[in-house]
Amino acid sequence: MHTFSCVSYCIISLILEIKWQGVWFVTGTFDYDLVVIGGGSGGLACSKEGKCLSTKWGIGGTCVNVGCIPKKLMHQAALLGTALKDAQKYGWQVPGPISHDWRTMAEAVQNHIRSLNWGHRVQLQDKKVTYLNMKGRLVDEHTVQGLSKTGKETTLTAKNIVIATGGRPKYPTHVPGAIEHSITSDDIFWLKESPGKTLVVGASYVALECAGFLTGLGLDTTVMVRSVPLRGFDQQMAGLVTDYMEAYGTKFCWKSVPKRVAKLSCGKLQVTWTDRQTGQDQQDSFDSVLWAIGRAPETKTLNLEKVGIKLNKESGKILVGADESTSVPNIYAFGDIGEGRPELTPTAIKAGKLLARRLTGQSSELMNYDNVATTVFTPLEYGCVGLSEEEAESRHGKDSIEVYHAFYKPLEFTVAERDGSHCYIKVVCERGGDQRILGLHFTGPNAGEVTQGFAMGFRCGATMNHLKETVGIHPTCAEELTKVNISKRSGLDPTVTGC
Amino acid sequence: MSHYEEVKVHGYDEFCKAVSERKGKDIFAYFSGNKDDQGMSWCPDCVKAEPIVRGEMSHLPEGSVFIYCQVGERPYWKDPNNEFKKTLKLSGVPTLIRYGTPQKLVEEECFKADLVRMMFTED
Repeated sequence: MHTFSCVSYCIISLILEIKWQGVWFVTGTFDYDLVVIGGGSGGLACSKEGKCLSTKWGIGGTCVNVGCIPKKLMHQAALLGTALKDAQKYGWQVPGPISHDWRTMAEAVQNHIRSLNWGHRVQLQDKKVTYLNMKGRLVDEHTVQGLSKTGKETTLTAKNIVIATGGRPKYPTHVPGAIEHSITSDDIFWLKESPGKTLVVGASYVALECAGFLTGLGLDTTVMVRSVPLRGFDQQMAGLVTDYMEAYGTKFCWKSVPKRVAKLSCGKLQVTWTDRQTGQDQQDSFDSVLWAIGRAPETKTLNLEKVGIKLNKESGKILVGADESTSVPNIYAFGDIGEGRPELTPTAIKAGKLLARRLTGQSSELMNYDNVATTVFTPLEYGCVGLSEEEAESRHGKDSIEVYHAFYKPLEFTVAERDGSHCYIKVVCERGGDQRILGLHFTGPNAGEVTQGFAMGFRCGATMNHLKETVGIHPTCAEELTKVNISKRSGLDPTVTGC
Repeated sequence: MSHYEEVKVHGYDEFCKAVSERKGKDIFAYFSGNKDDQGMSWCPDCVKAEPIVRGEMSHLPEGSVFIYCQVGERPYWKDPNNEFKKTLKLSGVPTLIRYGTPQKLVEEECFKADLVRMMFTED
């Protein structure tokens, strides 16, 4: 099958042939056993597992191109800036004022992304996955049509179809000037020049992570929040995250909504917004405006309604069953496109692998979406697994849960004279019986590394006893989780003292 | 007359010179251990890969450049500070790269004709 080269084309459909134990499955009636539309984290995993191929963007989807990977690298760039300042307290002779060159960082990050795109491409080819770089749409429940960059149409029939086209950032619909003059997370990682003084609209983790690293790189950054930060996350923890950001130089416009974006003759962007508390309009000028107000699924061009695939009216996402099935029997959907699914790379990858195994008859295991650990990579990182305190209260009742907590100070902060007052641990558990842990929350350095191991504890049904019986590694921040013993209910001071 | 230009070079300096003289062109480079007087390389993988790579060269893009570069003798190659390893970030021979891009095939990957063809034909 010919492959079409296409550097700038966005959405591509891919065809895959399932090869199982060296035997090509080609049914009598269909061209292929399985077609996967979409080539991000989910689509790639599904295709490689079931020998199917999927691509999006440069291969790798949101995660590789405009998400996790560049985000974490730029977050690291920002952390290194802070580390350079700390280094002086530790005796390093750092000459002169430290400045950051966006171009150097951007080129290095973008080169790494391209090497990942290539790596994926090689892997797909190596696993004999047929890759078609085209825009895909459904014709009927067994037919997929691909449109190449040159306008050539290809039609394929398949026994099963999997949709893993993910999501894209939303632009506001009622703010004049927004679409023409501003950017989203799709753009920030690919800028060749520094975004300068930036307004980030939104309070999702995308907004806070972007604002966080922009501040850390030395840029004048403002976050505009309509209501609450990190909706859906534990709100006490979200507050600690934003408090730290404010203390470290990120400006916040709370309870504000943008009204208008206008381009000034000098090239800057003038933003007018309404302060919802006072009702007054305010104005300021920025070099860049970044919208991080949510993500919408990629379904418009797929022709889903015609084929009868039911969507959630509000979100536009595909309604899916526990086995990733849609309302049409032989069509499946997973990853960010699925309604109610976490918008995370590892869950998409795992769900894709399990789906492929089920479709090729190798197993019947379903994806377990419970207790998935995540981390928000803001300047003060926040890792969590399980329920927020609010969710635990809502499900079990305040009297049936116990919340243990502690404010701790990372050892490394002491010599560096860093403010550790937002470093905090919270363990939410059942009040009675074995005190099964329902939720675990941690703000501090390397939160992702700290939280990962505790996620396994969740899988094993960890209880407070398990936690107390675990001997900590010293000196670390993670060990504070094994030492937590002050409950909120007791009202005692949760600040950790001593060694 | 083929649709691409083949350039044969020995060592890092000759390689850099060949590249700088062809700015703006689509340059593919194949790095191999030196061949002896009988035309046999000290690198057995290079011996295996070369016919496979050459077999796909008809698929090279129009107007592109193919640099065949002998890196040096075995002791030079084994030194972790040699210029190819330090500056070009090569990790092993044979290596096939598309200069200025992250596209590369290393060692056993060069044995796979379909991967070589993919590199020559895709953007």
